[in-house]
Amino acid sequence: MKETSRPSKKPNTLFFSVSATVEGGFHFLVLKEISLKSEEEESMAEDFSFPSIDPINFDLAVVGTGLPESIIAASSSSIGKTVLHLDPNSFYGGHFSSFSLHEFTSFLQSQQQQPNEEEVKDSNSSLDTNYTEIELKSQCLYSDIEITSNASSEDLEPSRKFCLDLSGPRVLFCADSVVNLMLKSGANHHVEFKSIDASFIYSEDGNLFTVPDSRSAIFKDRSLGLLEKNQLMRFFKLVQAHFGLNESTLDQEKKRISDEDLESPFIEFLTKQMLPAKIKAIILYAIAMIDYDQESPEQCKNLVKTKDGVEKLALYHSSVGRFTNALGALLYPIYGQGELPQAFCRTAAVKGALYVLRMPVRSLLFDKESRHYKGLKLASGQAVFSDQLVMGPSFIVPSPPVLSPHTDLQQEISQGSILRDINGQVARAVCITRGSIKSNISNMLVVFPPRSLLPEQVTAVRVLQLGSNLSVCPTNLFLLYVSALCDDATQGKKSLHAAINALLKCSMSKNRETSSLFPNESEVVTPTLLWSAMYIQQLTKVLEDPISSCPMPDGNLGYTNILESTEKLFQKIYPGEEFMPEAKAPENVDEQES
Amino acid sequence: MATIGNNNLNAKLVLLGDMGAGKSSLVLRFVKGQFLEFQESTIGAAFFSQTLAVNDATVKFEIWDTAGQERYHSLAPMYYRGAAAAIIVYDITSTESFTRAKKWVQELQKQGNPNMVMAFAGNKADLEEKRKVTAEEARLYAEENGLFFMETSAKTASNVNDIFYEIARRLPRAQPQNPAGMVLVDRPADRSQSAACCS
Repeated sequence: MKETSRPSKKPNTLFFSVSATVEGGFHFLVLKEISLKSEEEESMAEDFSFPSIDPINFDLAVVGTGLPESIIAASSSSIGKTVLHLDPNSFYGGHFSSFSLHEFTSFLQSQQQQPNEEEVKDSNSSLDTNYTEIELKSQCLYSDIEITSNASSEDLEPSRKFCLDLSGPRVLFCADSVVNLMLKSGANHHVEFKSIDASFIYSEDGNLFTVPDSRSAIFKDRSLGLLEKNQLMRFFKLVQAHFGLNESTLDQEKKRISDEDLESPFIEFLTKQMLPAKIKAIILYAIAMIDYDQESPEQCKNLVKTKDGVEKLALYHSSVGRFTNALGALLYPIYGQGELPQAFCRTAAVKGALYVLRMPVRSLLFDKESRHYKGLKLASGQAVFSDQLVMGPSFIVPSPPVLSPHTDLQQEISQGSILRDINGQVARAVCITRGSIKSNISNMLVVFPPRSLLPEQVTAVRVLQLGSNLSVCPTNLFLLYVSALCDDATQGKKSLHAAINALLKCSMSKNRETSSLFPNESEVVTPTLLWSAMYIQQLTKVLEDPISSCPMPDGNLGYTNILESTEKLFQKIYPGEEFMPEAKAPENVDEQES
Repeated sequence: MATIGNNNLNAKLVLLGDMGAGKSSLVLRFVKGQFLEFQESTIGAAFFSQTLAVNDATVKFEIWDTAGQERYHSLAPMYYRGAAAAIIVYDITSTESFTRAKKWVQELQKQGNPNMVMAFAGNKADLEEKRKVTAEEARLYAEENGLFFMETSAKTASNVNDIFYEIARRLPRAQPQNPAGMVLVDRPADRSQSAACCS
């Protein structure tokens, strides 16, 4: 086998045609010839060759720099493990990354091209006879990609002023476990945040109502009647008392929600509390951020229990006011979600982890006798060894050789058994608009409860609008992230299109009404859609055996579930070790000046 | 990013240059007055801060070290973001490190903010007998590219404080800067024990 010192050249340009499903009512331009090379790559590419890594033995090798992988790298190096962190890409973050406009388009297109790379190499061709070499493959996790533009290219310049999240819409709850982890690890020093200014819920009649998500918000709310306000206030108090969040700890036991209620469906519990339908929808979809329609239990894929429902409310409530200068429950990082994996990688690097981008892994090395994982063969031809391996979600290896020591590996490869479980899908869209949905509000969340848009819409659609004050787009433009869980692409995209159209329409006709309600909102803006990308992303399960593999970004708004599975994965690799031990205060950082 | 509050300037400063050029040593000399003959590759701190008083103001530098991520050219974009100043370091005894330093300058010019103050530091000036890069050559390059140049020695402390003072002096006093967000900090009430002191 000949060793190549340069990466195999990918085709530099790709042609991309756009399907003409006209929903939005604007015309499409065919995007063509988009270079796959990022700006950054070009700068240092001239003298690029694979470096030789030194040392070659590690406790842990991590392939891929998505958020879970980065957290595992940071946590492992914090407990003194030697870590080699590789990524075949030239950027950090994997599926959790934020891209410039050009990079975003190129990335999605490159994902679409992947599946035809099917070649099974002779696994016994390894030069080193001590190891069985199994080729590492990557799988495509995006489909039905549709990119449309009705803007001239100058409108979308400069490309690098955009930071488009691949995993949007996504925010952090102030009380999110990822926030706790950042504080513990010191990663918080590398990222700055801004609050999401407001949340809205869409009602079937086409109106957007402010989500009364805290006591003061209930008090200020103009759309609720006095009775409704009291009902909601009483319910919030009930939940807070259950978690002991109230100041008074008297009669704590009496105030707990009964075990029987906790096990019952959340929707039944809400009904038992005599809450009207409108309030129930607010609690279920705009505060607890539940996806599936809870009102029709027969069809509901995931009927949420009271104990899970109130836990989500508690997360929301403890988020409000956690940080003195954060307005509401939700935060967004300046420059996009892609900053988070970078922050954890930097934390890991500070603790001694070794970082190598642009380094594909060719194959995994298994011991011939024991059939245990031993190491990696890199694209450079170099072999590196580690006790443990964690991989990002797009990598797949043929069926576990350790579990079946006597089966022929070759045979298993040809049978196509792979280590990957697909666990549903999520439809995502990113739109660039000129003009905000709501005048005077730049960063906001809008929730469309199930069936509020279409009778067949079984899951909630969430929309996050972000403005240039987050440094994610040029001034005067806005980003809209839209997502919904779905069974198939058609269904998912239909919901997304309906939500986008409803927002553009409703801000057009409703701005008049709101301006009469809020006299200071005099300026009436009608947002126009300049560009959009829509795609279906597969949701993958975390795998623990025999090789640990991290999850894709899930369909949730926050990071709670991703963090939970990441922690479990860490505990599996290093049982009994503390997940992200507290870092010392950064050296020589003086106290905040007044 | 450089932000102002009554003549107090906060400025993020990044160090770039090849492994072994002496980036961490310069920082340690400046911040702690220390020098270690065999400084380890990574210094185990995310960043250091040091406050300087210049004529009209105090400048608090937040100094970011590469944490070794430059070794395989894997610095995250986060590293450059919002940096008000940069010191590009090379080793005067290595022409290769000088060539690489010029690459870092190009990279910075592409990524960084146009108002960034850039210093070009020829480090290890105490090793005169092993010199491979002349001061003239480096000065010429620096002038052509809008950098200011100094030869430094973290070992003898020569020009170390000077280079930071010069940066502080050159920082624009009023900078239209990136929107400032909040850094998440545990509220004092939540903090179980305040970190007393470090060395």
